[in-house]
Amino acid sequence: MGDVTLFGVAGAVLAGLGVYGLIASPQPLRKILALNVLGTGVFLLFGVVARRGAAAGLGADPVPQALVITGIVVAFAATALAVALTLALTRAAGSASLESDAPAVGEDPGPPR
Amino acid sequence: MPFVADLATPGGALLVLAIAVPAIGVLAAFALGSRHAARIAIAVVAAGFALAVAVAARVLADGAPLVYVLGNWRPPLGVALRADGLAAVMMLVTTVVLFFVALFARADFATPAGVRDARAPLVFWTMLLAILAALNVCFLAGDLFTLYVALELLTFAAVPLVALDGSAETLRAALRYLLFALAGSLLYLAGTALLYGAYGTLDIALLAGRARADAATTVAAALMTAGLLAKTALFPLHLWLPPAHAGAPAAASAVLSGLVVKGSYFIVLRLWLDALPAVITPAAAQFIGALGAAAIVFGSAVAIAQPRLKLMVAYSTVAQIGYLFLLFPLAVGLAHPEATAITGGMLQVASHATAKAAMFMAAGLVYAALGHDRVADLTGVARTLPITVAAFALSGIALIGLPPAGGFVAKWLLLSAALATAQWWWAVVIVVGGLLTACYVFGVLGRTLATVDPPPPRGAVTRGREAVVLGLAIVATVLGFAAFAPVDLVQVGRPPVAGVPR
Amino acid sequence: MTEFLLVATPGLPLALAAACVLPAVRVRMLPLLALAPAPGLVAALLAVHAPPATFGAGLYRPTFALDAPGALLLGVAALLWIAAGAYAATYQRGAANPGRFAVCWLLALAGCLGVFVAADMPLLYLALALLTLGATGLVFHDETPRARRAAALYIGLALCAESLVLVAMVTLASATPDGSLLIRDAAAALPAMPGRDTTLLLLIVGFGVKAGLVPLHVWMPLAHGAAPMPASAVLSGAVVKAGIIGLLRFLPVDSAIAHAGSLLAVAGMLTALYAVAVGITQQHPKVVLAYSSVSQMGFVAAVIGAGIAHGDAAMPLLAAFYAGHHVLLKGAMFLLVGVVAATSADRLRGTLVLAAVLAVGLGGLPPTGGFIAKYAVKGPLGDGWVATAAAVSAVGTTLLMLHFVRRVQTVAATAPDARAAPGLAGPWLAMAAASLVVPWALYAMLPLGTAGDAFAPYALWAGLWPVLIGGALAIALARWGAGLPRVPDGDVVVVIDGAVRGASAATPRAVAADAVLRRWPAATLLLVGIAAALAAAITAGRG
Repeated sequence: MGDVTLFGVAGAVLAGLGVYGLIASPQPLRKILALNVLGTGVFLLFGVVARRGAAAGLGADPVPQALVITGIVVAFAATALAVALTLALTRAAGSASLESDAPAVGEDPGPPR
Repeated sequence: MPFVADLATPGGALLVLAIAVPAIGVLAAFALGSRHAARIAIAVVAAGFALAVAVAARVLADGAPLVYVLGNWRPPLGVALRADGLAAVMMLVTTVVLFFVALFARADFATPAGVRDARAPLVFWTMLLAILAALNVCFLAGDLFTLYVALELLTFAAVPLVALDGSAETLRAALRYLLFALAGSLLYLAGTALLYGAYGTLDIALLAGRARADAATTVAAALMTAGLLAKTALFPLHLWLPPAHAGAPAAASAVLSGLVVKGSYFIVLRLWLDALPAVITPAAAQFIGALGAAAIVFGSAVAIAQPRLKLMVAYSTVAQIGYLFLLFPLAVGLAHPEATAITGGMLQVASHATAKAAMFMAAGLVYAALGHDRVADLTGVARTLPITVAAFALSGIALIGLPPAGGFVAKWLLLSAALATAQWWWAVVIVVGGLLTACYVFGVLGRTLATVDPPPPRGAVTRGREAVVLGLAIVATVLGFAAFAPVDLVQVGRPPVAGVPR
Repeated sequence: MTEFLLVATPGLPLALAAACVLPAVRVRMLPLLALAPAPGLVAALLAVHAPPATFGAGLYRPTFALDAPGALLLGVAALLWIAAGAYAATYQRGAANPGRFAVCWLLALAGCLGVFVAADMPLLYLALALLTLGATGLVFHDETPRARRAAALYIGLALCAESLVLVAMVTLASATPDGSLLIRDAAAALPAMPGRDTTLLLLIVGFGVKAGLVPLHVWMPLAHGAAPMPASAVLSGAVVKAGIIGLLRFLPVDSAIAHAGSLLAVAGMLTALYAVAVGITQQHPKVVLAYSSVSQMGFVAAVIGAGIAHGDAAMPLLAAFYAGHHVLLKGAMFLLVGVVAATSADRLRGTLVLAAVLAVGLGGLPPTGGFIAKYAVKGPLGDGWVATAAAVSAVGTTLLMLHFVRRVQTVAATAPDARAAPGLAGPWLAMAAASLVVPWALYAMLPLGTAGDAFAPYALWAGLWPVLIGGALAIALARWGAGLPRVPDGDVVVVIDGAVRGASAATPRAVAADAVLRRWPAATLLLVGIAAALAAAITAGRG
């Protein structure tokens, strides 16, 4: 197994784990972690792409590296925002559950603003 | 190929300004504090409108897209900004809606006297400008990765608007929105990685020339589209939309429902029409159209049953988003695609953006007057708030698609494309959708027009705010006059026949 | 000048409606209602066959024009709107919500007159939409449960009908040379276009609902029964003619669509006879009148259909002439109901005699306007089964209208000395006079035939005998009619009620399904599933 393939498989496994966690974990914090695992898998994919681009004659294709850096920054910002929201939700509601917010018909869930 | 790939055109600097001015506005508002934020925001949005007009005029005059190549690095290494007719139309719509929303929001998000800096107003005004910047990037970016960044910026700017009041309910809605949107953008990002691996570029114009119908491209297209659908809240991926749009303050809901979902929708449009038309098949177009049809029927049915006005309007958005996706089976992957379908779809976007924003603001005024928005208890509101109810009625008429609203011309063009391509089933969907919309719009109107004695309270609703809402509703109503224009801005920069011969 | 008149016909009512944004204008609008149709009346006199008025230079250029059938109907409709507007100024005085009434009235007026001057399809659709919105408001106005139900039914059916018309229009626009949107070009392209029969069916059903053809007539008895009196007059007299003018404008007299003409003739005659049968079981005079309108619109549709089937090129003008007489007479009759309701029974004799003469005139009594209208359409009806059915329907009309005259007495005022205000009696008498005089004046002006022919003994007898039989039947109905079953007004509306109940039962189910779909695990799985399905669709489509 070449190292490119290994990277690819690792990326796919991480992405799969992330998707599973996203579906199965009820806790927002775990979902945030799952999203990060999924994101890492995708970033690895970019690594594979950079390596394959290198085969064309360049030492390494720099563009995917630049994309990954940007992606990591975005993911970091997203994680920070999501954690901040989770904290605020825990403070306001006592727990951070995502369900139970679907207001049933006929019920007035209170003022929207 | 839809674009000239690598030549900056005169006037390209306008595109940089269109993105930079709102970004500078965000910084300025943040630095100067909430007391000045409203004024800065309104000025920046007005400037954004002027820029959009300039871009549109330029695009029309040239009959070709405006291009700006950043730092003179040509794609595939560099990044290009491009404004074709589609982008110009979207910029115009965005700035017009934002302008009315900003005028409307002045009262809700004023900094109280004696307070130096207030949190909610500062967040609202800065995020409003951030949304303008992010949307303009969505419309102008020429490569798929810049579009990813734009998508994320848009989400980050929209999420705080949902949770402005800080209640548990809206925080939960915001968190759901953020997490689902993030899942969507990661799928999109995975698709861009695959595309870059296959073609060594993410530039839309270059991709259009290179894309082959192979397995990697197929998976990439599927992942990116699915991710974008999650962000657009196309049925059945709408889980986050109703609580988020119904829970936010009226001005924020207007922006979220009218504009923010159009950002990711626009990227689907770019992907399917401009980047990968050679890859998308009729079967895929029928599939996405079927999701749109399901959204129309299902969203309308749920909207009819909603006990609260804002939730009803939010579910109406779920339904109306479906309309936007009917353009794909009519414009993509056909031997003889109908160019009118794209014009119709864009007109539908403009019509929904203006009408839905006006409708949410009208719902907000009703809430402000009555202290509730229970549909069953809206009787007699027309006596108290005649202008607001008139605005609601006009925007409802635009949503139903009665003339002279833009929705009517959009419906006409889409119907005509459906019949010309012998796809009568989409014609049925378009017609039935209009009738279902009429059910909930006239259901509410009938209640508000009933006579009760004494009339309900008026609260602190000023005539000025009512007039702003009516103004936007009138814009939605007269959008149909776009059909009077001698040239079709939407088609500028499009190939003579949409879609690439296969 | 004629351009200005054509635009002002719908433009003045619209401008007045827009002015109602100001509360001060809104509350003072009632007395002005009678002036709003004035440009329409003048246009009908001066702008016939004037060159079309076209505006703008864009892809779509709105066009106004007036052909002879349109001018005829526009003129009489404007007369009715003027009289009913004057009547409304008195009738609605002191009633609740004068502003809302005025706005709805003006919108319906703009739409109703706009239909006659619209020469291109989007403009016609706009006029139909305005008409629907305004008329719904008028039906809704009294806010009784009955009025609410009638309004909901009316707007539902009207929007459905307009959707069918819209699809037909879009299809037609794709068949016209250069994608022209003019109705004239669409009608010319219709006989030879692909998908002709579907388009014909859409047009006939769409405009058929607007004109109240059975079984889609259900909204008319309910709506015309529920609206305030002057509104019922214009709805039953003028507004239903939108369907007639639509059929006239879109269906050319062309042998290629003779089969559609026959279909329309059958549907029309069925309507004409069925509505009489249901109408004589009704008790409320307004509902009886509404059924008479259904019957008469069926008759006009049969004239149009038979004319197309026979290839009678004079049909459009003659059918419009017949319909024009109905505008005046039915308007007068609805105004009469309000006059009777304001007058005590012992002061009614003169009014009732006049009413009876007019009522029997609708059946064709010489020498009323109804006689000449019936005489004029003999040509298009031909001499086959349609002519026989037409004679039977004349008997039925006489019977139904005499039933109305009997029933209208039941609404007379109970106060001993009650007398209708001049603001009510004046418009009623004016419309009564117009329904007698105007048809003869038109007959003289238009190339319809000479008065001498109409007074030939054979023609007189052909007009008279159905009236005599109808009169005899009316006496029989008065004596033994109590045994007739009571058909609920709106007869087959129960079917629609059932469908609406079924559809409403589906919405809670949609809400329940929505709650399931919006759970996080379900939605995330759907996201993955949609990605997979898209990949499959892209691959499969390539196969």
